[in-house]
Amino acid sequence: MKALLQAELLKLRSTRTTAGLLLATLGLVALTVVSDVPKVGAAEGPLSLDDPGLLADVVATCFGVPQVLMVLYGTLAFTQELRYGTITSTYLGEPRRTRVLVAKWLALALVSAVITTATLALSVPFSSALIRSRDGDVTFAGHFWGIVAIGFVVMAAYGVIGVAIGALVRNQVAAVVGVIVWMTAIEFTVIPSFPDVGRWMPLGATSSLFQIGPSLGLDGNLLSVPVAGLVLLAYTAAAVVLALHITPKRDVL
Amino acid sequence: MTGAIELNGLTKSFGEVLAVDDVRAVALPGQVTALLGPNGAGKTTALRMLLGLVAPDSGVATFGGKRYCDLPDPARQVGAVLEASGYHPGRTALDHLRILATASRLAPDACERVLAETGLASDARRRVGGFSLGMRQRLGLASAMLGDPGVLVLDEPTNGLDPPGVRWLRGYVRRLADEGRTVLLSSHALSEVELIADHVLVLAHGRLLRSSSLAALRAEAGVGSMVRTPHQDRLCAALDAADLPYRRTDEGLAVDATPEQVGELAGQHGIVLHGLVGTADLEQAFFRLIQESGPAERPATEEVWS
Repeated sequence: MKALLQAELLKLRSTRTTAGLLLATLGLVALTVVSDVPKVGAAEGPLSLDDPGLLADVVATCFGVPQVLMVLYGTLAFTQELRYGTITSTYLGEPRRTRVLVAKWLALALVSAVITTATLALSVPFSSALIRSRDGDVTFAGHFWGIVAIGFVVMAAYGVIGVAIGALVRNQVAAVVGVIVWMTAIEFTVIPSFPDVGRWMPLGATSSLFQIGPSLGLDGNLLSVPVAGLVLLAYTAAAVVLALHITPKRDVL
Repeated sequence: MTGAIELNGLTKSFGEVLAVDDVRAVALPGQVTALLGPNGAGKTTALRMLLGLVAPDSGVATFGGKRYCDLPDPARQVGAVLEASGYHPGRTALDHLRILATASRLAPDACERVLAETGLASDARRRVGGFSLGMRQRLGLASAMLGDPGVLVLDEPTNGLDPPGVRWLRGYVRRLADEGRTVLLSSHALSEVELIADHVLVLAHGRLLRSSSLAALRAEAGVGSMVRTPHQDRLCAALDAADLPYRRTDEGLAVDATPEQVGELAGQHGIVLHGLVGTADLEQAFFRLIQESGPAERPATEEVWS
């Protein structure tokens, strides 16, 4: 498994996709901070400048876009192999396909840690500086470290889900478009419109984990953190089980 | 060495299309075995079943008695090239090979070795997207040879190669077989493989029509002669008298007899010849075999395993 994991990491490192994803993540995280912090303290806004959980909430919000990118990255990690036909040599090197899937999941989990670290490395000092510039409260309280830990878990889960989606859908265009439409259109429409349903959706459960419901229209409808964690775990497990069940049976043509 | 390849009753359908129908064949070590057939004959599906990429509906394919998925360290035992497009265009040739070598726990210097063997050493750090089709075929062979395997499976390896590339491939594959390796390659054109293959498996409509040595196929195709002479009418009379069939062509007389027979006959009648060459139209024999295969025709067992 170690050899397979090293090969999967080399696959991710040897194209420009990873660097592109990292740059896109950092750019969009910066954009999130720049657009969110000035809204803090507004009359209709959910956050105030003297809230000790302000930094944690801003940082949690910064994970919104990287989550989507992480799913896309996981999806591409598999569908690119199918698109370019490298899946053939991958399976010739390791005919036990479940081991290939596990290696990809581990590789994406490791990459998610790097991207999460980069997200935090940019969002925390940048948000702190902007909040301080507005005389706001910057507190590294327990809630903040909880958000950091949840960030690592959520990003790893989305990477794993992405790989499973790629293994199941196989058509790269369909998989990528499907992920984008689901995560940016369907969930963003359903969650504020039908919060009782939306909070059980993946993004709804993630918002509950981060406890950032108000910005998504989930104020008062958030799941508890343990329940939200279980819901996200259930989605991840379902994707993993389906991929493990279907992938070994599929013909590689 | 992993030994012989055996296809034992391989059958596969895609929906209502029977792609491969009860194919039984063997490829032996030290030989180049060519799987021949027109496009859509089922060659690629058969090879993919052999390599565990497509699950057969029935039958089994083995390397030295073991299915591909049961081989320990398969990359060290079987090398395969199935498609020229099996590369990420943004990856360098060296990285492509490093990934395969890493996954199969092969020595890091294996990449440099196969790049040198296939003439790609100077292009190792170029992205594969900029490679010609011929270079990609070479990279495919380099990938297959990473584990220095005893068995090679090549699907249409001459596709896209220019004449020098085809010549190089012939020499490379021949050398591998001469080293005692088992080589199974597919092709849709007999002319491409007749210079290197020892054994041919003719496949059409998913069924194996013939398994025989190339020499046997050549003998079956019949050996003829092409004759040029300034005394064509006299030679025709001599051929008529000897009951040897012939036909007049733009190049001369095409005679259904060996050059030795024609030369001796001409000598007996004092007929001057300006040209006498032997011909064996294997390609035509190959097409005839395919065209004659009716839906109900099945290869005899002894013929298949001969």
